[in-house]
This record gives sequence, structure tokens and C-alpha cells, in this order.
Amino acid sequence: MSESLSLTTRMRSRILCGVAALALGTALQPAFAEDAHYGGTMKLVAVASEGTLDPHINYTAKYWPLFIWTHDGLMAFKKAGGAASAEVVPDLAEEAPVISNDGKTYTFKLRQGIKFSNGKDLTVEDVVASFQRIFKVSSPTSGSFYNGIVGADKCLADAATCTLEGGVTGDAATNTITINLTAPDAEFLYKLAVPHAAIVPADTVTKDAGNEPIPGTGTYAFESYDPNASLIMVRNPYFQEWSAEAQPKGYADRIEYTFGGTEEAAVNAILNGQADFMYEPVPSDRLAELSVSNPDQLRVSPQVAWWYAPMNVNIAPFNSLEARQALNYAVDRDALVSVFGGPALASPVCTILPPDMPGHVDRCDYTADPGEFWSAPDMDKALELVEASGTRGQKVTVVTDDSVTSRGVGTYLQTVLTDLGYDATVQSISGDIQFTYIQNTNNNVQISVTQWYQDYPAPSNFLNVLFGCDSFTPGSDSSVNMSGICDKGLDDRMKAAMALGSTDPEAALKEWGDIDYDMMKLSPAIPMFTPKDVDLISARLGNYEFSSQFHWLVGKSWVQ
Amino acid sequence: MLAAILSRLLRMVVVMFGISVITFLIFFATPSSDPAARIAGRNAAQETIEAVRKDFGLDRPLYVQYGLMMQRLFISQDLTSFANRGQKIIPTVMAAAPATLSLVSGAAVLWMLGGIVTGITAAAFRGRWPDKLLMGISMMAVAMPVFWVGEMVNLVTQNRLHDTWAFSWVPALGYTPFSENPGLWFRSMVFPWLTLAFLYIGFYGRMLRTGIIETYQEDFIRTARAKGLTGRKVLLKHATRSAIIPIVIMFGMDFGVLVGGAAVLTEVVFGINGVGRLTYQALKVLDLPMIMATVLYASFFVVIANAVVDLLCLLIDPRMRRA
Repeated sequence: MSESLSLTTRMRSRILCGVAALALGTALQPAFAEDAHYGGTMKLVAVASEGTLDPHINYTAKYWPLFIWTHDGLMAFKKAGGAASAEVVPDLAEEAPVISNDGKTYTFKLRQGIKFSNGKDLTVEDVVASFQRIFKVSSPTSGSFYNGIVGADKCLADAATCTLEGGVTGDAATNTITINLTAPDAEFLYKLAVPHAAIVPADTVTKDAGNEPIPGTGTYAFESYDPNASLIMVRNPYFQEWSAEAQPKGYADRIEYTFGGTEEAAVNAILNGQADFMYEPVPSDRLAELSVSNPDQLRVSPQVAWWYAPMNVNIAPFNSLEARQALNYAVDRDALVSVFGGPALASPVCTILPPDMPGHVDRCDYTADPGEFWSAPDMDKALELVEASGTRGQKVTVVTDDSVTSRGVGTYLQTVLTDLGYDATVQSISGDIQFTYIQNTNNNVQISVTQWYQDYPAPSNFLNVLFGCDSFTPGSDSSVNMSGICDKGLDDRMKAAMALGSTDPEAALKEWGDIDYDMMKLSPAIPMFTPKDVDLISARLGNYEFSSQFHWLVGKSWVQ
Repeated sequence: MLAAILSRLLRMVVVMFGISVITFLIFFATPSSDPAARIAGRNAAQETIEAVRKDFGLDRPLYVQYGLMMQRLFISQDLTSFANRGQKIIPTVMAAAPATLSLVSGAAVLWMLGGIVTGITAAAFRGRWPDKLLMGISMMAVAMPVFWVGEMVNLVTQNRLHDTWAFSWVPALGYTPFSENPGLWFRSMVFPWLTLAFLYIGFYGRMLRTGIIETYQEDFIRTARAKGLTGRKVLLKHATRSAIIPIVIMFGMDFGVLVGGAAVLTEVVFGINGVGRLTYQALKVLDLPMIMATVLYASFFVVIANAVVDLLCLLIDPRMRRA
């Protein structure tokens, strides 16, 4: 998941340390099912809306946390704060699927008695049609998450006639759904738990539904959507809670999301009690003030993400291994943490897998004192390596987006590159263009500053997606392996580790940790820091819970 | 007269055609603006991108794409956004237009009244303290960026003094349609109007003062004085009427540009989701259909405003009628 899919391109440059401490304690309150808390209208604000309301298509961090309350998949991420949020639990499926045929066949029993928000009963036909629809509407992840389903190749080639024959079949008599994969996939249940695999009525239009709400089975239903004004969610009149873990009954009766204005205005609105939550990060100047004046309204939560600087291994100077390693030795992660807002808001990293990602192992070679953690830059070693690489004096342009933090990080990298003897400059590009710009090899980007947030808690989501051969397509705006690295040996090991995950998850995680270490030896990117999430909430908002998957759990908070 | 109108219409079409072609070409010349990759979504598989490219006709030659876009924008009127495939462009722009019109019309009344009063007062008291005071304030108004003034106004009315008697009547930022609640509409527009008008009062006041003072040197003013007219009559009936023509021309241009979306900063600061903000958001996400529609909408108003100004000038200044 990229920067704007992240709940945050949450940039902040300065903040008092107090902020962080405050809220970690309150972030994990138990949920009290007190009737008094049910009801009321929750008001959310954002500067702008973010695209279609079609859960099979929208791929943004702004709407994913809403879709999980309006739609269900066969499986769901547990709606809980903390570590439990990474667990997958049965949702529309009665229980965890029966997996057979060497991990290639999944059999689900569909829950009965569930109705869509339009009053229609949920049936196996709806499930089958929903999987076909993922391809018919060219869902962004149809070719990356769901291409392992039998028949997916035909659907990707010709979406209109997609049947997923032999891939997804339903049996109305036994109320079961069988999904056949071409190969075992340890991450398949995660993929079924994200909004792109939401189950919608079989008669849903097979094109982007746009602003028209699609009925779902969740506790809320979209009432209206005007991208230039507001998004309204109300209770689904047919909803009856079947699993408090997968789809608990939401507290607020109505959720109003309004779009417009500025971040400054949103902060004021929350302080005035006119809004309960703002999507955008609190402006850094206000954050310092708020950490003193309203510390009880700030919540700081850890994220599974990283800020990194991919280096293009195919063009000078970073086609030289020594040059790439030199920069990794030279970068002072503590300085970068300060740029982001200090230790309360970020922590230095040295690996590709973030600390909270399964498979992560604390290991760091690129530091003054190699061991588990990064301690300080090693400039002497870096200078030696630059000398050895013979790239000293070459021109290097760091491409950042136009946010304050990204430019700050870019400027810092420029000084390091200059210290190493390069002729470095920084180029800032609008945040909405930069992410595709740095992917396209035609733009000859040497090094850039970007972020990646997990789609689901699997190591391949970072290693294979960002550094696998399949993610590298020269000349395309969709080539998320920005380093352009394609190491046959490591790529094979990653594929093997994904397969191993379905038979021996423990061994697979250990292998991912080793792959991470070996990949970093090739130094395709500079891991910089793990960012934390900061939310500003209204004084009346209670029971704030933060899921590592979908961030703030809107339905679990109450306003009265 | 008919010929004049027709020639104006023709000129308008040519101008708008030129603008649309330039907008279209700039879009496709922007690096990494590939609409198919953007529509398909992040990290989409190449097959998905190709499917989208075909679906949207983005694999066809540029001139065909241009023709199709114009056809869907003006004839079938079902052009949809690239950022949100289900969002129709024309209804969206039409829905945003009343907010901008409310903002700009209200502010225009204020700034014309304020500008004229300021200009005439300053000219009448030329060189004395009211003149100096007014011109000082006008200079400040022109110098302060509107988004900054807006944020300051918000700071006072929404934050620091929001809970006091002075500003507790100010509703939360945002736009309420007049048809929904006229009272709320008015209350929520007061500060946006004042903020936007402030800048223009400064401009217009200074322009008018200078105009009147220059006009005082003209022969016909001397004649008026020689006839024995009072100072007030000379000022209001003769000098101001002549000096106001450039102001009217300027007003036409400013009004057209603002209705077309140039009030974006005021709109964003006050949370008014008008055409300006729509344009800005479309540019941010490289949403070509929306950019195209809003740019053409803006140019349409500029051209229309120009035509109206020409007519108004004929009414005000008899000398122009002779030409």
C-alpha cells in the first residue's frame, strides 16, 4: 500500500515529546457494551473525498476503514485494537474454511439469515458473483491478490466474460462455497479479508458504481455520497450482529463525513466540538500547541510501515553496489527521525520488514557498530566505499514529493550525498504525481523518498511487492519496484517462502527474515524510519481503538 | 447588432477551442500522468492497466480521444471523472456553481460599494487625514494575501473568540445552500464575503481615487466649475462618472474570473466547495475530464463577463456610443 493509501502521509515536523506517551495507554481500552453509548451522530472531516464508493475498486486509506463497516468478506480482520487486529476471523463464513488438496482448495460454509442493506438475503450466488465482479470491474488488485484463483487468467484477459470456472463455485443446497487456487497461497485468507473481496449482491452493476452506494451486509450502509460535499452512513436496518469480532454493531446511529476546508479549519472544528475526527494529519504547528493544551484528545499509535529511499540499481551512480552501500552507512537515521517530528513520532530502522511485521528480525549491518540495532552512521566506511565505487563527483537528484517532511528528508539526503562527494540536488514534485513518477524508468529517477504501508500483515507485502522481479515493469507508471532490482536468486527464494508459508508458517517467517537480511546486503534502498500515527479526536469521542490494519475503528467509538 | 453578437460568439468558440486543446495536450505531456495507470490503481497488474486503457479508449490516437471527450462533454454530457469513474462531470460542476456564485456575488456587492465609497471619500479629502487613513488601509488590504486574511479571520471567529458573544453566531465552516436555510446561508457567508471583498475594496478604492484626481485636470471639469456647479456635484456627477469606467471594466474581468473559479483560496479557507476548489482538486489528482470542464467553464465566464462590460460601458459613457 503506498503513501496515499496509507492512512497517513502524515507529516509533521516538530512536536513535543509528551504527545506520544499520552495516548498509548488509552489506545487499547476494552470495549464496554453499554447501551447508553449507542446512538448519536459522529462527524468526520477531510479536506477532500477520495474517489469511487465501489468497495471492489476504491484502494484508498480514506475509505477502506469505512468499507469494513458497510461490507463483509468471507473473512475479516478482527475489529480490535492492538496486535489482535492482525488476526483473520470468519465473517460471512460460519467458521474458518476447510483447506484441502495440498492447500489449493478452500471450502467455506456461508452463514445463513444475513441480509443486505436492501433487504435481500445473502446467498452463495452473491458470493460467486462478487468474485467474478472483482475481475469484471478491473479491480486494482485483481491481478495481484486474486490472480491465483483458477480461471483468473482468463478473467484478466477478457473481463467481460469472466466466470472463474472451476475457481469459485457455490452450492446452494449445502450453502457452501469452494475456491480453487492454482497454487497454495498462505496469504489468501488475508486477501479475502480486505474490502476488494467484499460480498455484494449478485445483481450489482458490473462496472464502477461510482457515487451510487452498493448494498452491503455490514452494520452501516451508505446513504448518500457527493464527492464534493459529504458521505453519509446510517445503520443498516437489516443488520443483526453475528460476530462481535468480525462485524460488531456500531455505536453511532449516523456517521457524517464532510469534505472541504483546510487542516487548520478541521483542527478548530474538532476543538469546537463541531467534528469528532479529522482524516488529515494535524498541522505540525498546531500539534505542538495541542500536545500542551489538549493532550487528552491526541492518540499516537504504532504503524506497520516504513519511510525509505529506493535507489535505482540500473543507472549511475547506484548501479554500483558500493555506492548504494555507502549511502546506507552514511545516513543518520536519528537526524531523519528529527525531521519527521522526533522519537515520539518515529523510530529508526535498518531492515525492510518493519518492527511489527511478522518475520522481522532486529539486525543491522549499516551502522557504526553492527549488531541488532542501528546506532550511528559510519562515515569513514561510507567514504571508503564511494572511493572504491569510482562514482565520486557524479550528479545525483533526490526526487521527493512536495510535503514538508518529504522535502526535509530529501534535503537531508542531499547533504549526506554532498558529504560523500556527489553533486546532489533535490527535486520536489506534487505528491499526487511523485508516486507514479518515481516508478517509471523513463523518468530516470536515481533516488527518491517514499513510504509503504502494509495491505495485510505478510512479509511478502514488503519484500516481494517492493523488490520482486514481478513488480518491475520498465516504462510503466505501475512498477512499484522502484529500485528496479531483480535478483534471480532472491526472487526464487521469495517465491519459495510464499509457498512454504502455506505448509510451515514458522519456517517461512524465518526465511523471510533471512531474505530481508540478504536483500539489504544488496542495498536496493535506504530504510529510514517507522512512522507513528497521530489522531486528533473530539472531547466527546469515547472508546478509541486503533487497528494496525484499518487504523481508527470508527464503528467501535461512541459519541455519547 | 446581430453581427456583433455573432462575431462575439464565434470569438468565444475559438478561444474555448484553443484553451481546450492546450489543456488536453499539456495533460498528456505531463510525465507520469498515464491515466490508465492512475485509474487502474496502485500496484495494478499490467493486464489490469491494459484492460482499463482499452475500456476508456486511452489506446486510441490523441485526436480521437480529444474528439470523444468533447463529444461526451458537450453532446452526450455523460463524461465521467478519471479519479472517480462513476462521477459525472457536468452535474458536479453545476452543483458546485451556486456556492461560488453566492460567494462572489455577495463579495462583489460589498467590494463595489466599499470601493466606490473609499475612492470618492479619499478623493474628496485628498491629502488630508481621511485620505491618508483610507489609502493606508487599502494598501494593507492589497498587500495581505487573501488566504492569510481568511485564516486569521478563522482563527478569531472559529478558534480564539469563537465562544464569546461576538462570534458565537458564526456557524461551522462550510456552505449551506440558500434554498435549504437562508439564515444559515447568510451567516456562513458573512466572513467569506468580507474577506474576499477586503482585497478588492483596496484595489478599487485606490484606482477610483487616482481616476477622480486625474479627471479633475480635464477641461470639462474646469467648465463645470466655471458654470458654478457645487464641489459635490462636480465630484459625483462629472468626475466620478468619468473615472468609474476603468473600474467597471476591471470589475467585469474580476467578476468573470472569480465566478470561473479564481476564488479558490477563499473557497478552500472557508470550506466552501465551489468551482475553484473543484478545479484545484482536479489538478491535484490529474483528473483530466474535470480539469477540462472547469477550465472551459472559467473561460466561458471570462468571455461573457467581457461582453457584458462592453455593453455597460456604452451605457455609462456616451462618447463610446459614437464609435
